[in-house]
Amino acid sequence: MTQPTNGSLLQPDYVPGEPVERHFADADLVWTDDEQKQIATFRSEYPTNDGAVMKVLWMAQNKFSWLPPDVIQFVANTIEVPYAKVYGVATFYTQYFKEKKGKFVLDICTCFGCQVCGGYDILHYLEEKLGIEKGQTTDDGLFTIQEAECLGACGSAPMLQVTNGPYVHNLTKEKVDGLIVDLKADKMPGFQSVTLPQDETDLGGNRRSDTEAVTEYQTPPVSETIH
Amino acid sequence: MAEAPSLITGESKAGDWRNYERVILPPVKDLHKIEVYEEDGGYSALKAVVKDGKFDPAALTDEVKASGLRGRGGAGFSTGLKWSFMPPVDPEKPRYLCCNGDESEPGTFKDRQIFEYNPHLMIEGIILACYAMTIKTCYLYIRGEYIDYVHHVQKAVDEAYAKGYIGKNILGTDFSTNIVVHYGAGAYICGEETSLMESLEGHRAYPRIKPPFPAQSGCWGMPTTINNVETLACVPLIVNRGAAWFSGIGPERHPGPVLYGISGHINKPGVYEFPTGMLIRDLIEVAGGVRGGKSVKAVVPGGSSTPPLTWDMAKDATMDTETLREAGSSMGTAGLCILDEDTDMVAFTRRIAHFYHHESCGQCTPCRDGTGWLEKLLSRIESGEGYTRDLDLLLEICDQMEGRTVCALADAAAWPVRWGIRRFRDEFAARCKADSFASSEQGDGSVEAQPVL
Ligand SMILES: Cc1cc2nc3c(=O)[nH]c(=O)nc-3n(C[C@H](O)[C@H](O)[C@H](O)COP(=O)(O)O)c2cc1C
Ligand code: SF4
Ligand code: FES
Repeated sequence: MTQPTNGSLLQPDYVPGEPVERHFADADLVWTDDEQKQIATFRSEYPTNDGAVMKVLWMAQNKFSWLPPDVIQFVANTIEVPYAKVYGVATFYTQYFKEKKGKFVLDICTCFGCQVCGGYDILHYLEEKLGIEKGQTTDDGLFTIQEAECLGACGSAPMLQVTNGPYVHNLTKEKVDGLIVDLKADKMPGFQSVTLPQDETDLGGNRRSDTEAVTEYQTPPVSETIH
Repeated sequence: MAEAPSLITGESKAGDWRNYERVILPPVKDLHKIEVYEEDGGYSALKAVVKDGKFDPAALTDEVKASGLRGRGGAGFSTGLKWSFMPPVDPEKPRYLCCNGDESEPGTFKDRQIFEYNPHLMIEGIILACYAMTIKTCYLYIRGEYIDYVHHVQKAVDEAYAKGYIGKNILGTDFSTNIVVHYGAGAYICGEETSLMESLEGHRAYPRIKPPFPAQSGCWGMPTTINNVETLACVPLIVNRGAAWFSGIGPERHPGPVLYGISGHINKPGVYEFPTGMLIRDLIEVAGGVRGGKSVKAVVPGGSSTPPLTWDMAKDATMDTETLREAGSSMGTAGLCILDEDTDMVAFTRRIAHFYHHESCGQCTPCRDGTGWLEKLLSRIESGEGYTRDLDLLLEICDQMEGRTVCALADAAAWPVRWGIRRFRDEFAARCKADSFASSEQGDGSVEAQPVL
């Protein structure tokens, strides 16, 4: 019989196996008032408690940077859904981090559209540059590199995504170097608008005047490696 | 019985496409802003229908049916017909619309451009669809990786709420509807309609067995219709310009404007808007031709699950369901990947197999295990360790997968492998060691002790 580690966690009478692993102190596992308001909004958007689970997991991941069991338990308590259900959802999706990752997670697309346009070249270049293999994290805890499936930007291949956030399109080795320098200086790339080829003549190449960074679809490089 | 004449004529079915006027992504600066969209005639379809009574719900459904609009999400089903499957309104039962913006089919990147450049067209289409089917809630499902675009779309939705285009008593009428933006967290399978519904409900996104179809039992067991983003974006255009205008664009049986996402070995990749029925050849031409002036080895016409075509099969084919079916593939999502003469088809096919293996939800044994075996065998062939007999084994695995699973992911995984091998067999065979099941003699004459997979 597992003793509840903390009165605030809803524990069933009998918990099989090990107690929920702890990575965060109780004092950390709280939502701010704003976050609680946000959660209430999310819950109101769905007819059942379960509906809000994905959005609240996202909030938790953004807050705690990953989803260890105690954070999953915290989410489960928040939306009043059993731990096992929330755990089931968290483990179904690749973007929820079930283990601790680097501060910056670089998802390099190597799916076929990028594969044939140098996606693996970029992956291997990063592996070499950072001295780690895909799936690993650098010793300083700054970078994790991962092989991603199609991110829906095949026209601007090769490309990558930084920590489930902005896309970096039309990658070259120089661009990767610049990105790493920026990230080390804590500068996240911003949103980049990709101009439609048909707009280059019709709209002078920029459709959105409110976006700072604009790029075009470019002729992809010849890939050196394809696996 | 007389054979129907071939549709692969080498003639374009897109009419005067060189002077085509773009309508889904028209050349208007800052169209994503609601004021600009309104100035460009935006939300006038909504006003005409909801406020001025241009169509009642049934008439709107009929108009969409008459336009010949077919789903742009992959299956190409008639949109008006799908809407008409919704059961009569039961005040006790909520009903839902899902707008499918999961866009995870490799090779597809068109819906992203709608989110970025013309979100209000999609929103207007959603409200019109809700009106046609008397739906009070739409869930707009966007893949989690598109989080930047989720923010863009959420902003557009908020603007539309503020202007009274969404929400309670739209434009002062007694019609009300809400849009909830939902985002995923990285799972291709969530694009499959019933999986998307499971995901919305907050469960592991396992697809459901059909029947019952979503119109009977969809989200939370209630009547639900699901349409792709681009499909819904066509609806305001049909209302404004009429079904006859829409059906007059491109070939008769698969008409309308379409966003082609062109990628691969091409000089000017990107999303291009043209009528359906474009010659693949013309699309390559507008996209600047093949990189480095090379010749084309293969074309994947509509995303990873559509069988690759050899250049001989593709060069005279047009981009519409009927013609591509005859050519030996399908329209899918109209995301074309152009592969030049230097492409390693074995590595390419292996990478597709890896994708499906990674994305199989694991519910059905033929899919969960089959996708794994496809990848393993293809990797072995790629590394030069495979045997000729492996090719037939691969085809046999495809036989075991197709049509035997809950959802179509298993078929989508098997097709590119099956047709890749059938159409590029020499290239696959050249990588294999000679052997067959009959003898366990290997290419070098030695006898293999234990055939290992
Ligand atoms: C494995 C699988 C993945 C799918 N992914 C998507 C997708 O990402 N986006 C999409 O619109 N449709 C996708 N579909 C098709 C949907 O199930 C559905 O047919 C479509 O959203 C219906 O919209 P439409 O009639 O407007 O095309 C997928 C289907 C399958 C079998
Ligand atoms: S076919 Fe594959 S993806 Fe579809 S339900 Fe079965 S296991 Fe899941
Ligand atoms: S294949 Fe890399 S983004 Fe689609």
